[in-house]
Amino acid sequence: MRKEVPMIITVLSALAVIFGKYFFLGDQSKILTYTDKYFNISGAFAMLIGLISLTMVHTTNIRRRKEGWYNSIVLLVVMYGYLILGLIEGNKGTAFRWIYNNAFVNLDATMFSLLAFYIASAAYRAFRVRSWEATMLLVAAFLVMLGNIPPGEFLGSWVADSKNWIMRIPNTAAMRAINIGAYVGAFAVAMRILLGIERAHMGGRS
Amino acid sequence: MNQIYFLAAEAAKKPQPVLGLFVEKNVGAFFLMLFMTVIVWVMIARARGAKKIPAIRKLAGLDAIDEAIGRATEMGRPVHFSPGLGGVTDPETFAFFATLGHVAKQAARYDTRLINTHRNQYVYAIADEIIRQAYLEAGRPDAYNPDDVRYLSPYQFAYASGVIGIFQREKIAANLMIGYFYAEALIFAEAGYQAGAIQVAGTTSTAQLPFFVAACDYTLIGEEIYAGSAYLSKDPVLTGSVVGQDIAKIGIFLLILVGTIIANFNNFGAKSNFLKDLLLK
Repeated sequence: MRKEVPMIITVLSALAVIFGKYFFLGDQSKILTYTDKYFNISGAFAMLIGLISLTMVHTTNIRRRKEGWYNSIVLLVVMYGYLILGLIEGNKGTAFRWIYNNAFVNLDATMFSLLAFYIASAAYRAFRVRSWEATMLLVAAFLVMLGNIPPGEFLGSWVADSKNWIMRIPNTAAMRAINIGAYVGAFAVAMRILLGIERAHMGGRS
Repeated sequence: MNQIYFLAAEAAKKPQPVLGLFVEKNVGAFFLMLFMTVIVWVMIARARGAKKIPAIRKLAGLDAIDEAIGRATEMGRPVHFSPGLGGVTDPETFAFFATLGHVAKQAARYDTRLINTHRNQYVYAIADEIIRQAYLEAGRPDAYNPDDVRYLSPYQFAYASGVIGIFQREKIAANLMIGYFYAEALIFAEAGYQAGAIQVAGTTSTAQLPFFVAACDYTLIGEEIYAGSAYLSKDPVLTGSVVGQDIAKIGIFLLILVGTIIANFNNFGAKSNFLKDLLLK
């Protein structure tokens, strides 16, 4: 029953969503609203699992004095401190929002800014003239980058025109082809789950 | 008078069934779904009936997964596996689950440490169970370490910083990334490169694929991640579903071809929206 019950719930939920989407059942939006509500409620319980897991991992680090165990103290203090502050003040509280706007947002931006440097190092490794495909990649990347910066305009309108053509025609065609394949593949995965062929997510062999 | 206009407007907004049964603008989508369902079902039935079906072509990225685990075993360093930012409603996450079972079983067999990090609490709970079950099936329940399946943070860059911290501290030898990724894809790929790990990545996100192709050793592009469960298990029924998916894709491409031809005739004054009207009914 451990595998059969989740499969039955999966099939019934999927059929409810499919019927709700395609067949006119009067006020079918209610079905989708109910499934959304149940999803959000179960998400709150699942979040508790994540909280417990984090606490266990980091308390183990502190107890065993693993390398960097003091970082685990900081994490637990910040995590529970912010949780308690949010419970007391609510998410519109002054201190809560101050910490979010002045600490979290800036830390987020810092991590995002790493991408600029990582792009440079990835491009340095990837854009090499090793084969004709790599050469085409290099030329296309060079034209697109040149077309996006002001000095590219000084070289003539052909730079912007080339960039626009590359982005509009071959790039869009490739993206759409990949997306079509991905959507059909996703559909096949959904079919396999509905038919009970794919059971990896239930801890069993497919 | 205003009330009459108000009621009339309300009546006009109420959706009406098409052909007495279907939701407006979803009829074409329903029949397209039905067509794909029939194709996939037929191929699964053929596979179940032990009839001959085409084989999946060689996918270097999926072959490299075993190579990556072997490398990690030889070096005595862990394997890291990430599902990206996808949730449990994303099909890419199911591709991750299918591959995770195989990777966990291999890791259990070779006594290699597997670190699995998560951003989504649902995915974390399911992955934990998959890994535990895989270790049990491999006959190594004692080797399963629940601390190696880690929920880090629901926030994108907090998750990314946790992951790259793990790469540096644990000195991973192999980095597997299969799922839906956003901006953190390149952060993972570059951090994995700096840690000296062999990297196999797969995603359907067209915005992140170029970064994976540039920074990883092997990349699974788009639908190749969905073939993972069939390719790794060599199960004929799963292979049949992948063949069905490919045939459905050919059907869609033919539809696109017909639509392109009709659109070009429209440019010469034919003015036919037959296909568009049929699909968007």
